[in-house]
Parts: sequence; structure tokens; C-alpha cells
Amino acid sequence: MTTNPEKPIDNNQLTNNVKAGGCSAKISAFELKQILAGLPKMKHANLLSGIDNFEDAAVYKLNDDLAIIESVDFFPPLVDDPYLYGQIAANNALSDVYAMGGKPLIAQAIFAFPTCDYPLSIAAEILRGGADQVAKAGALLTGGHSIQSSETIYGLAVTGLINPKDILTNSGARPNDRIVMTKALGTGVSLLALKAGLLSKAEQSLLFAALTTLNDRALEAARRVDIHACTDVTGFGLVGHIHEMAKASKLAARMVISALRFFPSAQEFAKQGLVPASAYGNRKSFEANVSYIKDLPLEISDLLYDPQTAGGLLFAVAENDSANLINAMSEAGIEATVIGEFTEGIPGHIDVLIS
Amino acid sequence: MKKSLDLRGLTCPEPVLRTKKLIDDQSLSCIEVLVDSEVNVQNLTRLGNSQKLTVQCKAEDEHFRVVLQRSTTNSEEQVSAEHHHDATTTRAKVSSTIAAGGNIISSTATGTIILISRNTFGEAHGSEKSKEDHDFSANLLNLFLQTLLQSGHEPRAILMVNSGVKLMDPDGPYIKVLNELKEKGIEVLACGLCLDYYGLKSKVPVEQVTNMFAICEYLFSADRIISP
Repeated sequence: MTTNPEKPIDNNQLTNNVKAGGCSAKISAFELKQILAGLPKMKHANLLSGIDNFEDAAVYKLNDDLAIIESVDFFPPLVDDPYLYGQIAANNALSDVYAMGGKPLIAQAIFAFPTCDYPLSIAAEILRGGADQVAKAGALLTGGHSIQSSETIYGLAVTGLINPKDILTNSGARPNDRIVMTKALGTGVSLLALKAGLLSKAEQSLLFAALTTLNDRALEAARRVDIHACTDVTGFGLVGHIHEMAKASKLAARMVISALRFFPSAQEFAKQGLVPASAYGNRKSFEANVSYIKDLPLEISDLLYDPQTAGGLLFAVAENDSANLINAMSEAGIEATVIGEFTEGIPGHIDVLIS
Repeated sequence: MKKSLDLRGLTCPEPVLRTKKLIDDQSLSCIEVLVDSEVNVQNLTRLGNSQKLTVQCKAEDEHFRVVLQRSTTNSEEQVSAEHHHDATTTRAKVSSTIAAGGNIISSTATGTIILISRNTFGEAHGSEKSKEDHDFSANLLNLFLQTLLQSGHEPRAILMVNSGVKLMDPDGPYIKVLNELKEKGIEVLACGLCLDYYGLKSKVPVEQVTNMFAICEYLFSADRIISP
């Protein structure tokens, strides 16, 4: 990469030297599959969830009533406020434990920081944001590891607990199950608009609120109905995660565009070309699995592939449970919508309908 | 007036922001931008289209040259007229011209569906019909598909139901032209129930097998249905 004379002079903002922040920094599924192809597949009687099926976290059974959930997640800064960055990165890491149906117990921080480029107070603020988010989840931040680096990275390794009977995997969806999603779509595009200085104050506060909202209460509310499968919407985008869930459950899926909720202005930003690189990566990885039954405006399909940071949860529930689930969510103050369904068909295939 | 920008080495959103600044200057009729990643090309194409500019891209050595042009007439209509022969409605078209490996590709998806519900063109092959008559009608259907392929029309999908699914027979006379149509990006799909009835299901690739729900959705969301 050549240096460009038109490049702005570094004014000490956290995101200035970051190529892709948040889940936009994720290696694409297409590339990841190649990297992981040579790795041995771990098999053990107690390993209930490993790297098969692109699960959110590993689950290891300790005894018949108890299993540990293990996950790690980190990324470069996606906002300039160090405290907020710490909160969001921690929230995103904790989310994997909720996506498996568990409760986070302890966490350790992963931290890389260029101590020559920024004052140490910035580092302290990142860690404070992370620690506060862990405390909000009712878990304990018990230490971590830090290194000098040219690029800032922060995240958590999280250990959670779960009764093996309560594990929610990708693979339990059944034919005719409804797909229910919490949170709005478009964090990747919105964060790029933020970096471009185009996000209004009101849009910023909506986005930051979503990025720092834990999925704990959504999971708790969901427990009031029989959940067949669950995952969180993160780096692979909505289509990628529905695809993984459908494939693992050996089902096809249908998605209804008119049922989706997007962040305000996200469509307009995508239309103007504020689409993160990894959205194109996701498109390349997953588009072969998608049939658009009608032409979609390009900006809408971009948002289907938009990498989500600290995204919502996706649930598969029986048709007659979906209204109960939405009600349980709304009683807990959480907006959730039915965005599609699983059907018999080509495993992992998604039909995208307009309404 | 024309202006050039060298935005190599910059990552999103910088190239979009800097190009947008030039687009806002109405005195410029042509903006030429150098970028070094395909993502930037795609994003500049989106930007150009949203501002109703024509966008062209060329891959050169290690970078891409993106040319955004303000045309004096309505550029969107021109694009539609050139590339969308099937355009019949006013709904927004994905008229983007995107670069892939230096080639210029136009997205030409439209809402025309071709529904083939028997294995002949027109007249059904009732019991009173002779075999010669049936063969003639079947050949006509083949001729229709060949002509469609050569015409440059690009319907959204070709759907086959009832005895129409016999066209998918890998040993039959239609499969070659159907595959060529599929290669052009047209979805070629056959009803699973019908394939099963005619004993063809195991001979057709799974991604080309569809169901009545999807067929119904395709038909109801189509701008136009042609049933030969």
C-alpha cells in the first residue's frame, strides 16, 4: 500500500489508521473455509459444539447438568470514543455465549495497543468500557493479556455456563419454523457513514445504543417459548447467518424483505457507496445460495450482506410459538420481528421475497 | 470540464467522500478517479449511479480507472434504453455497470418470466393429434428457445411445470439451449413435483428444482409472463 499525499494528517483519532473496524474486519467465510480446511476436526464425547457448522462458540460438557461455553472475539476500533469502543467490543464477545443459550461467567481481555501513538489514558478508557460491559452482563473480568502493536485491538475471551439440555445450536431448526430477529440491520454501513462524518447525532445515539445492548434479556425472554435454534447476526451478515443455520438444520429458508428493520438512513448510505469491504466478501461467499424472486434494489441486497457488529439474535421457533415469542420480547422492551421461515428444500438455500 | 483524482492507497469511506465533493461541483462534466481496490470501484459505482452519472471502469496494471460522467440528457433513461429491452415498468432498475477483472458487465435483470407448462409451443398434444403434429410443435418450442437465446432478451427466469419439465431431460434436445440460457444468468427452474411424476427428478441438478410456492411467487411478482 503506497502512502498517499491526499491522506489526512493523523489527528489522534482511534479509527484513523483502521482499515476495517468491528466485524467488518472479519476474514470472509470464503477465505476462512480455505484456511480451516487443513485443520484437524476435534472429536470428543464431551465436545458438544466445535468448529463444525460454524457455531458461535465451543461447548464442552463437564457432567450431565453442566457444560462450559468458550468463545473469543476481538477487533480494531470502530468508533473514536475509547470507552464506547471497549463497550462494543466486549458486548460483541459476550454475545456468542448468549447465542449458544448460556450465561457468561468470567472473561479475560485481549489487548494490543500502540503506546507510542496514543496517551495511556486512551488505553485505560478502552479497558474501562470493556470492564463495565462485562459487569453489566453479570460476569467477572478476571485479567487478560496485552501487547505493543502498531494497530489497536481489543476484545474478550469469555467462559460461560449452561445446562447441556438448554444449548441452542444452529442446527435445530425444523420445517415451517419461523425466523425471528431482534435488533435492526445495517451496523456495518452505518459505522462507515459515521467514519465519513455523515451520521447525525440522533442516528449516532440509536446506533450506539444498539451496539452496547446485551442480548441477555432477549435470550431470557426467548426462554419462555420452545426455541429450536439460535445464533447471533454478526460478521457474515444476515444472509450468511441464516444460510449457516439453514444448512446446519438441513433446510432451506425464505426471507421477507418487507419484514426487515434497518437503521435510519442505512439504505441511503449504501446507495451512495458506503458499503464495507467485507459486505462484498460476504456477497461472494454466500450469493450462490440465494435466489431473489424479484429484483431487489442494490442497496437492500447490500444490507443483507452487511457485516453486523454486536447484532441481534436469530431464533427458529414453531409457527404457533412465534407470536408468543414476539410478545415475550415486547414485554421485556425488545423489538423483534418474524423475518422469514425455514422450509424443506435445498439445505442452506435462501429464497428472498419482497413481501 | 474534467478533473482527475489519484485516490490510490486510501480505504473506504475516503474515496467515496472525495469523489462526492467533485460530483457536487456542477461545473465538472467528467471525473476520473484512480483507486486500487475493487471494493472502491464498486462503491464509486454505487455513488455514481445514485447521482445519475454514467460510470465506467477499466482495470490498469495495479489499479482501476473509474470515469464518472455527467450527461446532458437523462442518463438513467439512456442506460435503460440500451440495456433493458424488457423494461416495461417505472420501478427502479439496477442499472449499474460494475467492473470485474477489467470487463464491463451490465446488470440486466428484469421482471419477465417465461412459463413453459407443456413440452410443445402452443397447441396441446391431444389424442386426436398425430405424432407428426406433436413433433412439429415440439420443434417449434426448441426454435423459440434458440431464438430467445440469440435475441439478447434476458428474462428473470424460465419456469417449467407439467410436461414442460421434460425439457430438462439431460438426454433430450432442449438441455443444451437451456444450459446456455442459464449461463447467461437466467434462472432455469423446474417444478419438483412434475419432475418426480415424469421420473426425471434424479437427473436434474438440485439447484434447478423448485416448488409451487416459489413458482407462485415468481409469477405474482413478475412484470410480465410469457407462456409459449
